[in-house]
Amino acid sequence: MLKIDNLQVSVGDKKVLNGVTLEVSAGEVHAIMGPNGSGKSTLAHVLAGRPGYTVTAGTVLYEGHDLLALPPEARARAGVFLGFQYPVEIPGVNNVYLLKAAVNAARKQRGLPEVDAFDFLGLVREKMQLMQMDDSFLSRGVNEGFSGGEKKRNEILQMLVLEPRLALLDETDSGLDIDAMKVVAQGVNSLRSPERALVLVTHYQRLLDYIVPDRVHVLARGRIVRSGDRTLALELEKRGYDWVTGQAA
Amino acid sequence: MNALQAFDLPTSRDENWKYANLKPLAKVRFEAAAQAADIALDALPAPIDGYARYVFVDGHLASALSSTATPSGVTVEFPKLSASQSIVPAAKSRDLRFAALNESHATQGVRIATAAGAERTGCIELVFVATADAQTASSYPHIEVATGERGRLILIERHVSLGSDNNFIDSAVRMEIASGARVEHYRLQEAGPKSTWIDTLSAHVARDAAYQIYLLNLGALSARSTMSIELAGERAELALHCASLADRQQVHDAFAQVEHAAPATHSRQTFRGIAAGRARAAFNSKVVVRDRARGADSYQSLRGLLAGPDAEIDVRPQLEIHTDEVRCAHGATAGKLDDAMLFYLLSRGLEPQTAQRLLKWAFLEDVVAKIAVPQLRAQIEQGLAGQFL
Repeated sequence: MLKIDNLQVSVGDKKVLNGVTLEVSAGEVHAIMGPNGSGKSTLAHVLAGRPGYTVTAGTVLYEGHDLLALPPEARARAGVFLGFQYPVEIPGVNNVYLLKAAVNAARKQRGLPEVDAFDFLGLVREKMQLMQMDDSFLSRGVNEGFSGGEKKRNEILQMLVLEPRLALLDETDSGLDIDAMKVVAQGVNSLRSPERALVLVTHYQRLLDYIVPDRVHVLARGRIVRSGDRTLALELEKRGYDWVTGQAA
Repeated sequence: MNALQAFDLPTSRDENWKYANLKPLAKVRFEAAAQAADIALDALPAPIDGYARYVFVDGHLASALSSTATPSGVTVEFPKLSASQSIVPAAKSRDLRFAALNESHATQGVRIATAAGAERTGCIELVFVATADAQTASSYPHIEVATGERGRLILIERHVSLGSDNNFIDSAVRMEIASGARVEHYRLQEAGPKSTWIDTLSAHVARDAAYQIYLLNLGALSARSTMSIELAGERAELALHCASLADRQQVHDAFAQVEHAAPATHSRQTFRGIAAGRARAAFNSKVVVRDRARGADSYQSLRGLLAGPDAEIDVRPQLEIHTDEVRCAHGATAGKLDDAMLFYLLSRGLEPQTAQRLLKWAFLEDVVAKIAVPQLRAQIEQGLAGQFL
């Protein structure tokens, strides 16, 4: 589904990714771990098409197509979803309005009619229940006045409604207490399926107790320095990143 | 001698007028239109349920288009104004000269008085229609409001153009808010695309009274609003919210002077302006806190959004404080759409154009969402959607 080959990325003069190679197949969950500043978030944002990054070398194929050639909105409509580490607040744009606009944008792409407003609200309510979000969410602005935990839940809610084929979740666990993390994990797990792939970017192993990955990769200084199964994450937890990166994290 | 000279009207060289576009004045015939043109009821904005509506066409009351019953607790009169009223321009501050021009030219005004007591809220809608071409005649809307103590009033004031889109409209509002009274004042400027709208509002707010102004600048080629509000009594409050949507060659300029003249007075100002094309949206506000106004609290939040490389935003909060123990804060920004917000929307699959329109809409919602008359808000949002979508 996703094939990254020797991806090199700069921000300004600074090289952030130094040749990342990674392959993710449908049905798989991959975790990308690494110390702060290792390039984890950059990787997620480059895949989603955030401006400000320069790809200097390498290729990214998504379902056989050149992902990097697409503008961000086309990637989203093709089924790529980025769950933000710091979701932005957009006062004045209603949560449900955005969800509906997003779903309709994807449907339009596929030649489908717009969703029925009533059915759609029912779907949103159902997913909100799963994410333990209360009704006030429906009338609020996007992330407006949300706590850190509410913002993360909202990201997962959007993901559940949009049903992406490839979800990139950037530090979705950061700032969550254990109960909130369970709710978020439950949401993510509900979306696992043989047709979908998930890439979790995380600093800590903790989230992986709840969302069990098929593969774990350690990113350091802009490249993947080690890959393994979930036991790699447990080992990292015990021994710290120095163990694989060979320098102070 | 023409009116420009006779009234010694401000020019763009005056400090408080440098952002206004006064050039169209050179081609204006300042005489008031002699009579009202005939207009059809369905040419007007849809009426608001529960509001008594009074329609003025080129400064003349159009009885056939107006309510016949006055809402209880309110008296509404339509004084004939004599064009020969003596005016001494020098007696007025230079910023208020256009009000002097109005007083000398207006033919018929509207005088609204609310009874004392909070039992009933008077709901009034005034629609001022300009039809005369500025080279032929001008329009002088003239409003005087006086509330009784603890009186309640919701006033909707709309300015629209019909027939010609090149009007000169010089409107003047005088607002006296008695102690404990509350007035919500919605002001919609939807004049024709070649029109000039010059507006002067003076308000006096007594103790424990509250005045809320919502000014929406949507139309006109050149619009200028001068608002002078005195918080005269203890704990008097003002909320002034202004939104401006300017495109093409439009210039929307507003200047507010808010005077805290008594202790514990409170003012809030919000401006959200979008300028696209070669347009300019300006909001300058000066808050003056007098020495007797201990405990005054004022906040100005002025934000402009540049929606094009040739557009201009001017926001300037000013403070003049003559006492201690006050809380005065302000924030002023002028910038482009927020990149992080834009990317967030794109990352959800929205088209760039849709995302931009949505963010502009959201920007104005800081003001529009505060409109507490649902039907009016719906009309405004519909109008905005028409401009955005």
